[in-house]
Amino acid sequence: MTILKIEQVSRTFPARHGNAPTRALEPTDLIIGNNDFVTILGPSGCGKSTLLRIVAGLDRPTSGRVTLDGRAVTGPGADRGMVFQSYTLFPWLTVRENIAFGLRERGVSEAERNEIADGFIRQVGLSGFENHWPKQLSGGMQQRTAIARALANDPKILLLDEPFGALDNQTRALMQEMLLSIWERDQKTVLFVTHDIEEAIFLGSRVIVMSARPGRIKAEINVDLPHPRSYKIKTTPEFVQLKERLVEEIRTEALKVAEHA
Amino acid sequence: MRPLDPVTSKQRVAYGLAFFVLFVALWSWATLGGHVSKTFLANPLTMVQEGFDLLTKQGFVYDIGMTIWRVVGGFALAAIIAVPLGVLMGAYKPIEAFLEPFVSFARYLPASAFIPLLILWAGIGELQKLLVIFIGSVFQVILMVAVTVGATRRDLVEAAYTLGAGDRGIIRRVLLPSSAPEIAEILRLVLGWAWTYVIVAELIGSSSGIGHMITDSQALLNTGQIIFGIIVIGLIGLLSDFLFKAFNAWLFPWRLA
Repeated sequence: MTILKIEQVSRTFPARHGNAPTRALEPTDLIIGNNDFVTILGPSGCGKSTLLRIVAGLDRPTSGRVTLDGRAVTGPGADRGMVFQSYTLFPWLTVRENIAFGLRERGVSEAERNEIADGFIRQVGLSGFENHWPKQLSGGMQQRTAIARALANDPKILLLDEPFGALDNQTRALMQEMLLSIWERDQKTVLFVTHDIEEAIFLGSRVIVMSARPGRIKAEINVDLPHPRSYKIKTTPEFVQLKERLVEEIRTEALKVAEHA
Repeated sequence: MRPLDPVTSKQRVAYGLAFFVLFVALWSWATLGGHVSKTFLANPLTMVQEGFDLLTKQGFVYDIGMTIWRVVGGFALAAIIAVPLGVLMGAYKPIEAFLEPFVSFARYLPASAFIPLLILWAGIGELQKLLVIFIGSVFQVILMVAVTVGATRRDLVEAAYTLGAGDRGIIRRVLLPSSAPEIAEILRLVLGWAWTYVIVAELIGSSSGIGHMITDSQALLNTGQIIFGIIVIGLIGLLSDFLFKAFNAWLFPWRLA
């Protein structure tokens, strides 16, 4: 059983060059249960990435705390796998070596590492590319490798920070289906940050809507669409209804940002 | 010709050779045509003749060997000390804050100005030559390596942390491999500078080496030998550069992929 608890977590960036301190995140509470797929939706600058980085241990909260299975998060660790928006494959390692990075850090033998890595390579559909360098891969393939790299570590929770943000629409849709099918099969706890409304509904069991600066949770919407979901679900009335509602929520926030800009 | 328009590799070689041909032609015109006195500048034919004489009768190969050994020895010594120090400085900011001001200062001390002092300390033997190269290279390498390591992509470091890497893992498996090609480039560059220091070191208080031959030839007004010596230095530089580049390409295939 995995339970991630975010309790009264806030983040204020200190003043710089005479500017006032930036309140990126208001005290926020969120509980994510076992095998939950939670998407965090919000306009840019709403602190959603900050929240994710705090959970990952890459940033420290100004107040509050994050616990995973009762243990406080004090820094990054292998129990929380992360996929970044930017391409973060190690360019000097092949696809297989990238995926095995965390396993090697833990001292897993080479034979076992390769076996596990090859399993994930098949899962994300990259068979035949085991020995390619990241430079030789398309953006979509790089992000698939990054997801495989995070999963190969068998983390308790998978954190994704707009992983498909830099991909074109068609690739992005395929990646969403791939990620969802992995989740439907293996049941992982996932926290997924995005600014794409359709993506948030299609993937999530729950959508957390965040408000613009200072960031806080504005609404929480359950997505009761059945699994397994195919891309066709995006045109069903239930899906469209959810989308309309979220469009309204997000629009008011986006307007606020535009006014302050 | 248009800005940034590429040339084919054949054209590149042709243009490169054309300059050498032009250079030798101008030189021949000036010397063989009698526009410059023989005392000041030997003509190309004399130069080749003198060079052949140097290699076959005067044991110039030994001098070349001595010079190469000094450059490589002093440079290797500098690299062995500078690269680890630079990596530590790049990785750990307190170490950088501790050493950076001094290294930046020491970098501007001209290696050739140390020669009189080094002769006092280490005599006129091999150690003194190695130390000149060492002083000329070590601070440059430290600083450039530190900057390269410090500029490692933050998101790669963060990714490694989330994959469970510890501090040692970050240095060994992220900072080092990501900086390695740049470090190799730095070494290639500084090796080129080391060649200037070695000749200066050999001009003063030396009984062998290319620089020593050049001072000897000056006493004899043998400009042919001097020019031959200079050209040999250039050729060795070109060759070592080529080898270094080929070695780097072989070492870091992921960069070219």
